[in-house]
Amino acid sequence: MIDDLLTSSLLLWTPIALAAIGGMINRCGGIVNIGLEGQMLAGAFVGAVVSGAAGNWFVGVVAAAAIGAVLGLLMSLTITRLGANEIIAGLGFNIVVAGLIGYLLRGVLNVSGTLRVKGLDRLPQLRIPVVADVPVVGALVSGKDPLFWSAVALVPIVALLLRRTAAGLRLRATGFAEDAARSLGLPTMRLRDMSTVIAGLLAGIGGAHLSLGQVGLFNDQMVSGRGFIALAAFYFGRSRPWPTAAACLLFAVFDAVQVRLQTEGVPAQLVQTLPYLVVVVVLAATGIRSARTRTRTAG
Amino acid sequence: MSVHAPTLAEAPTSPATRFLRPLLPVVLALLAGAVVLLATGENPLTVYYLLLREAFGGPARIAATLTSATPILFTGLATAVAFRAGVFSLGVEGGFVLGGLAGALLAAHLTDLPGPVVMLAALLAGAAAGLLTNLAPGVLRAWWAVDEVVTTLMLNFVVAGVASWLVTSYFQAEGVANSATKLIPVAARLPRLMPPYQLSLGIVIALALVAGYAVWIRYSSLGYELRQVGANPRFAVAQGIRQRRVVLLAMLISGAIAGLGGSVHALGVVHRFVEGFSPGYGFTGVAVALLGRNSALGITVGALLFGALASAGATVQLFSNVPLDIVDVLSGTVMVFAVVKLAFSWRFGRRTA
Repeated sequence: MIDDLLTSSLLLWTPIALAAIGGMINRCGGIVNIGLEGQMLAGAFVGAVVSGAAGNWFVGVVAAAAIGAVLGLLMSLTITRLGANEIIAGLGFNIVVAGLIGYLLRGVLNVSGTLRVKGLDRLPQLRIPVVADVPVVGALVSGKDPLFWSAVALVPIVALLLRRTAAGLRLRATGFAEDAARSLGLPTMRLRDMSTVIAGLLAGIGGAHLSLGQVGLFNDQMVSGRGFIALAAFYFGRSRPWPTAAACLLFAVFDAVQVRLQTEGVPAQLVQTLPYLVVVVVLAATGIRSARTRTRTAG
Repeated sequence: MSVHAPTLAEAPTSPATRFLRPLLPVVLALLAGAVVLLATGENPLTVYYLLLREAFGGPARIAATLTSATPILFTGLATAVAFRAGVFSLGVEGGFVLGGLAGALLAAHLTDLPGPVVMLAALLAGAAAGLLTNLAPGVLRAWWAVDEVVTTLMLNFVVAGVASWLVTSYFQAEGVANSATKLIPVAARLPRLMPPYQLSLGIVIALALVAGYAVWIRYSSLGYELRQVGANPRFAVAQGIRQRRVVLLAMLISGAIAGLGGSVHALGVVHRFVEGFSPGYGFTGVAVALLGRNSALGITVGALLFGALASAGATVQLFSNVPLDIVDVLSGTVMVFAVVKLAFSWRFGRRTA
């Protein structure tokens, strides 16, 4: 029971965590990436198709990363160079991506929503001998796919990059005070674009995890709001790597538990709203607190 | 994220740009769609001609287009009211959904009362439900400057979850496979305007509201205050306008219009609340408000455009190999280009978003 729950929570964690870390980097650069949902969907689709064509999961993941990065770049350019509002650009890109994929599925590939790719190579599961048989620990570390380990490794790496490197500092400066950063001679637009490309890339990989790591096929409903859960996670984690990853874990546990509680009569629909509700509450609490401090210092 | 406010409330300048601005996103979207169609071996001109014919060719198709435009008129108007006050609300989607549920439930369960009374009660209930969904984000934004973009976006998911939970656990209609409420009896449905066709009184309500908005925003004192708060909050405060009250009122009015739209959609078209009641009408409304620069005329034209796309797309897939999804490609592209500053200047230095 516990082992099952751990296994499925960690499986559900990977795609959200990848997208959320990407979105968090983007947020540090000053862009709220609403397009994660579409970038994940594109990654899931391209990942599945290319994995099937190449017969190799790694090639599929690389292709998913590439399509996510390209979408991120396009979205970023409309925001930074053409002055588009980031929220609408994100929503618009989500609609276009869903439309394009639906068009390809129904108009070109002649399937209704689910695409079974011939020869699709799924992510391998890295079984660790001996440890695999230990209860709990086995479920925690054995039988995981490479993307899970990449996501785990990414958290400290990103934390380090953002905190300790010049690039990280410049990115955060851009997001915190773009005018000031630019006046210091930083290429703020390029930095923002870079951060969106990274976000798209990671979201694309997250999408590939859905199609290659979890089910082994593509369905046009398979992302079903995970891009927005990722958004909720980095808002909840207040754009810091460890809390963001932890928020993803919390939401993944909600998701895993909800499937199990459905049979017990606990309404799944309500459990599914928890991540969003949590974010509203957190935003409200921090907003009220900071407004109070402002009044106190002003008075 | 208060940086959005000035651009949202901004009014168009010269007559030429006023006309060209909304046209360009549409043209660009048609070009993007043409690329997709060409790449997959379809002739874009044939497809666009089909779309045009299926949108406006004959009374049946015009009625269908107007029917599809009705919910978008409501959501576009609801969004515009918030935008005018400089509030970037995405909560219209949630308001529409909850309003639809409230209206559908009331109309289906108040069977003892005469039709018009039920109708009125259901519409009011819808408006009240919509108002309620915007209450929390409105108060949070007005008093504590909590970012309304994220709260309204997140609450949409909460509302959708709660609505579907309410339906499946308390109001599930018998003998229906998917999650749906009981059918609304004929007496409580909105009367049809052109009987064989689905077009209902809803379009009249929507157009009356849009016309009312045009007058209200221009000539009423609250309309003036709304525009002032949207255009320049600090100057508005200096004039003695109670900014918090205006922001909250704008959010509540926006929610009420969205909720009313939902109940009109339930009473006029769907006749119940079902899973997938709104295929993102709230977000289309955002695009319409932006495209129409929050003006009554702009919203009307924008809603007609998106309504035409939706109604034509649904039938075009019957006549050709082109699936309905092409419409999403077109409307999503319109949305993106609607917010792009089409001054034909590729910005390298300054950013003014």
